[in-house]
Amino acid sequence: MLRGADIVLRCLRAEGVDLVFGYPGGAIMPLYDALDGSGVRHILTRHEQGAVFAAEGYARATGKPGVAIATSGPGATNLVTGIADAKMDSVPLVCITGQVRSGLIGSDAFQETDVFGMTLSLTKWNRLVRSIEEIPEAIAEAFYWAKSGRPGPVLLDFPVDFLKAQMEFKGPSIFKPQPQSAQASESTFEATLIALLQQAKKPVALVGAGVKLAGATDNLQELLDTLQIPAFATVHGLGAIKQESPYYLGMVGMHGTRAANMALHDTDLLLVFGARLDDRVTGDPARFAPNAKIVHFEIDPSQLDRVRACELPVIGNLAETIPAFLNEVQHAHFPSWREWLDETCSQDRAEPPLSGLAQPTRRFLDELFHRLPANSTIITDVGQHQMWSAQRYRKNSERGFITSGGLGSMGFALPAAVGVQLAKPTETVLCVSGDGGFQMNIQELATLHRLVLPIKMVIIDNKYLGMVRQWQQLFYDRNYAETDLSDNPDFVAIGQAYKIKSFALYEDEFRPEHLSAETDQRLKEFLASPEPGLLVFECHPEANVYPMVPAGAALSEMVFEEE
Amino acid sequence: MQVFHIRYRNTQGTLMRILSAVSRRGLDLPFVQAEPEEHTHKVTLLLEVSPKQVGQLFRDWRAVVDVMDVRAGAPISNWDHSAWNTPHPPASVGNDGAARAAMA
Repeated sequence: MLRGADIVLRCLRAEGVDLVFGYPGGAIMPLYDALDGSGVRHILTRHEQGAVFAAEGYARATGKPGVAIATSGPGATNLVTGIADAKMDSVPLVCITGQVRSGLIGSDAFQETDVFGMTLSLTKWNRLVRSIEEIPEAIAEAFYWAKSGRPGPVLLDFPVDFLKAQMEFKGPSIFKPQPQSAQASESTFEATLIALLQQAKKPVALVGAGVKLAGATDNLQELLDTLQIPAFATVHGLGAIKQESPYYLGMVGMHGTRAANMALHDTDLLLVFGARLDDRVTGDPARFAPNAKIVHFEIDPSQLDRVRACELPVIGNLAETIPAFLNEVQHAHFPSWREWLDETCSQDRAEPPLSGLAQPTRRFLDELFHRLPANSTIITDVGQHQMWSAQRYRKNSERGFITSGGLGSMGFALPAAVGVQLAKPTETVLCVSGDGGFQMNIQELATLHRLVLPIKMVIIDNKYLGMVRQWQQLFYDRNYAETDLSDNPDFVAIGQAYKIKSFALYEDEFRPEHLSAETDQRLKEFLASPEPGLLVFECHPEANVYPMVPAGAALSEMVFEEE
Repeated sequence: MQVFHIRYRNTQGTLMRILSAVSRRGLDLPFVQAEPEEHTHKVTLLLEVSPKQVGQLFRDWRAVVDVMDVRAGAPISNWDHSAWNTPHPPASVGNDGAARAAMA
């Protein structure tokens, strides 16, 4: 006979789980009581949001489901932002919550919330477990849906009495889904697509996270090498195309490169590979790629036609559809797109020389990123530093750039870095935050201190909620309402209070053409240290992220630097 | 007005997921009826939707784990609201009584 809590842990082990993130509380206590000797290592964060973001970081770094555990009521509600974040960014995440005992459900008992109802629209699948006998089947089904198709978050809510009850355990379940009726899909897309390409004069490829999630980056690279058409990536697609590819134009979208955005505006055939066409990518939807036919490779049919109807949906796993397309491409003849490619890469579409108030910060990031080992991972929070980091990212790594892109959750980076470092204990993990976002989950400094995780933390401190301030400057007549953080705490002192080696660098050190030997040495020591480190970079308060496509503008209407 | 018929397995939350695809778009739902149908369930919804929303709803519904089939009926131009304007709770109970019952 085993307790329900023991059965949960045995089923987690059967799913390959050996690491979970969580925070204990009343209704989940039986599970914590059963942890010792279960083979499942538990990481205590200092807030449930820290736990769910850490689980996300682990999942984003490995591709395996991350597991977050919380108690009922406030523990469960504190998971919600992370669940929404995982849904937007297709992260496999299994959340486990305790619930008040089954006889009390619906009575507004102490720490009772309807977490099942709350997370219906945020999860791919969820279940309030109704008996101890359901536990093995529920866990098997949860992991199946978290990993299958377009990955996403699931939630299991366990009433505490089922975790305490006992039954004879006959082993973990294996879930087999029942078939859905056939999805509407183009089964012979290859011939249609070849014909569209043969007619196209200005084809381009837009690459998103779906390519990486499908493990199809090598196939895509071969396809693009064959086609030699201009290609660019969304923020989540960064690293999917080799930077040195002659047709790669960089990041696309609101803060993308001029070359990428102009090519996307001018194209007559847009091939989308695993991207949602988020409004940060399209600009004004009415003027998005106005002359283009759209071919959309996508595993999740619900993502099609969100902005504009596509001419040819290609629904399915990109690890299958891209090779099928590549096979046909290798036997077809196409007109030369050399002139078009040259046009997209021409000097008049290149970035203007970098200047302005943000230049020292961009230089700082360049110097920092340049010193990172090839297999390192950069995790960013949300805001100006996120976009500067994305613009300066130059690695060819599928999972080397991790950020909260869809939901844009401030406070993501620090706990996510904890999950990444635990997943990749021997690799360099660099966590870049702003001063606003860092304070949203600053308590996780205690987690990485306890675990002695050698995470390298950088705070780009402009003493503002910088991205909001930038918009206030540009679109609200410089009315900096409630974005002033000039009374920020001393972050170096805070780091030291957590016994983390901390220091500050300043803009003036990054203005000369060559870094001083001292600054160079400090950067090298910071990155090479086997211990955690915190580097505070003092950034100009009014530095802005450029280029920028203003809200409501077309991609061709980019703004460059302060003029 | 457009009628939609959705066949689904009646697992926990599936009907609510179907309905939340409607509510998240702020659409009025003047009629909804869910019922068993052979070995599964069927829900019928009547909605005022734009052609773009029809596409979005189809895709959202089909992405729900236990939804098996989604179909749209012909648009209805003259929906008779009168059948649904009868008082609820029944007039014999009265609103005061209903309010007292709720407070208890």
